[in-house]
Amino acid sequence: MYQYQDFDQRFIEERVEQYREQTERYLNGELTEEQFLQLRLRNGLYIQRLAPMLRVAIPYGTLSSRQLRALAEISRRYDKGYGHLSTRQNMQFNWPELASVPDILADLAKVQMHAIQTSGSCIRNVTTDQFAGVADDERVDARPYCEIIRQWSTQHPEFDWLPRKFKIALNGAESDRAAIHVHDIGIRVDRDATGDVVFDFLVGGGLGRTPVIGSVIRRGLPEPHLLTYLEAILRVYNRHGRRDNKYKARIKILVRAMTPEVFAERVDEEWAHLKDGPSTLTTAELNRMQGCFSPPPYPDLKDRTTELAEQRLKAPAFNNWVQNNVSRHKVAGYAIATLSTKHTGVPPGDVTDAQMDAVADWADAYGFGEIRIGHEQNFVLPDVAQEKLYELWKRATEMALAAPNVGLLTDIVCCPGGDYCSLANAKSIPIAEAIQRRYDDYDYLHDLGPIDLNISGCMNACGHHHVGHIGILGVDKKGAEFYQVSIGGHAGNDASLGRIIGPSFARDDVPEVVERILDVYVDRRIDTEPFLSCFRRIGMQPFKDRVYASAG
Amino acid sequence: MPVLVKDLEIVPDPWRLIESADDSDGSTGDGCIFPFDYWASAPRPGQACNAGFWVDGGVDVERLRDHLEGASLVAVKFPAFADGRGLSLGVLLRSRLGFGGELRAFGDILPDLAQYLHRSGFDAFLVEDRRAAEVAITSVASITDHYQASVLQPQPAFRRIHTGS
Ligand code: SF4
Repeated sequence: MYQYQDFDQRFIEERVEQYREQTERYLNGELTEEQFLQLRLRNGLYIQRLAPMLRVAIPYGTLSSRQLRALAEISRRYDKGYGHLSTRQNMQFNWPELASVPDILADLAKVQMHAIQTSGSCIRNVTTDQFAGVADDERVDARPYCEIIRQWSTQHPEFDWLPRKFKIALNGAESDRAAIHVHDIGIRVDRDATGDVVFDFLVGGGLGRTPVIGSVIRRGLPEPHLLTYLEAILRVYNRHGRRDNKYKARIKILVRAMTPEVFAERVDEEWAHLKDGPSTLTTAELNRMQGCFSPPPYPDLKDRTTELAEQRLKAPAFNNWVQNNVSRHKVAGYAIATLSTKHTGVPPGDVTDAQMDAVADWADAYGFGEIRIGHEQNFVLPDVAQEKLYELWKRATEMALAAPNVGLLTDIVCCPGGDYCSLANAKSIPIAEAIQRRYDDYDYLHDLGPIDLNISGCMNACGHHHVGHIGILGVDKKGAEFYQVSIGGHAGNDASLGRIIGPSFARDDVPEVVERILDVYVDRRIDTEPFLSCFRRIGMQPFKDRVYASAG
Repeated sequence: MPVLVKDLEIVPDPWRLIESADDSDGSTGDGCIFPFDYWASAPRPGQACNAGFWVDGGVDVERLRDHLEGASLVAVKFPAFADGRGLSLGVLLRSRLGFGGELRAFGDILPDLAQYLHRSGFDAFLVEDRRAAEVAITSVASITDHYQASVLQPQPAFRRIHTGS
């Protein structure tokens, strides 16, 4: 992991004091609501329906056990004993006092954490694959580049007051687990034929009101030019992005208005002035950053295929868990374990202080003290010795973190929605719960195979509904909560946006609608064809016919 | 009364801002900040004296290139404090057009913006009152050093501090 040096530590401590002073001026009446709004957003503080909400950055989803314990402590001391894992590698606290936020930030700074730029019209917390550094399909570990971008974007003198929020995601594996097609900038990290690191840049992707798949504007950018090229993109956007209408202010609108080709030319013109300038990465800096993410000292282990097979045979529940929640590790004898927060009855992504402490303990006991958070709102233990999987599973079961549903229908991605969020049109958590209750038969879920079901409480799409195989969006219909359903979205390599099936539904009807969609799939699939492939083959009509057929 | 901060000190403002060409009342130009269009239209006022012009933060910087000669001040208007276009304009005026005179921010200048202005090449900003000016000056000093390069510090931290071993 990246360890703060004196420089980093001084910076965040000074930033906390700066924010403390801003909060004091607000409480004294020196700053208006509107002025303070912009300042607090740059420190992750929203005012929500019930209370302020503080969004803490978990940069590129990487946490140490010490940091996770600190988050647990914060949830106890300043909140109601739980936190919420967001869909962008953040942890949100729903009940802090506005006046105590500077103290929370000071506590975070002690463990090298912050809430800088987790909201507001600025460059947000940079995200990546939660399996970075350990996945067996990885080409390049994206974390050093994430950290380089985190530092570069932190309180940038020119780019902290953009037309709108700006999200950057990187992915260095064959399989895209960072949703790079639906970010303002998505960066594919790869190696060229000679083995040098290069970047492909996608721009103008995004969800929200106008969902768009990003366009590739540059392929094979050499490693040292990462920051100068980013600077060129951001400058074109900062100068030309629309500021007259917040719904048209994202970079995707600019890219579309200019066309990706012209946008790319503008960026190249700008880049010509910056290329090889002082922000060009040096070999020393690249080495330093890569050194921060060098692999832990893995003892020499062998794959435990036989023992695992025996354990799986003896305990079917363990077998289910291994099947869905355990992923291949690039080092023999190790595995990646995903601890699902998607237990029926618990809002997706919500975790208690006791769960956080337990996960931190397991990270120490079974790994190298590291934890990851993915955009699917689950915890990941990246380095579990295979011989410890059974023990981990037993302990995770006791803490309600072992639902064997990763990637399945009930691993629902869901925003806080109308229960917490003041922007919501409708609640999202009760929908997730109703679906989880209906589908509690593991064998059936497993038979359905990988299905991403994503729920957002409004157009802002924090629940990424456009890229759910099944997407559910809360809409307001003459003051009543309704839900629009879409099918066919996907966030991976061959990303696609879901298409709306038809008129929206009342809340009580949503589980039935989902059931009918699944029935069509089960009827029409060929052999083990996954849901998404089946939809892409047969199209919308059969689903539409069944869903809108009168009951009975 | 707006208060001027120049080089991080509160100073009297010797300049007069001419809002629109109609208000220029045939001024000779000494100590005047003219609207850019008026300034750019020949014959240029104030050629031989102390004069400058003002622009909106969103102006195309290339339009300014041929009109900087003779300007001892350029003022950039921020229509709203959260409108960061003026920051990019400042960076480009300094680093690309090599403007060396006074670069001033005015309009809706929240004192907390001062740290960004300062690092983006502005050496002067006009804020609401004396208290705002004091806050602005303190806010610039509140962070000792930053990660990335800026007009003020063209070398990023990684070239100055972590130079490798
Ligand atoms: S999608 Fe809408 S309701 Fe859900 S968290 Fe985002 S803004 Fe709130």
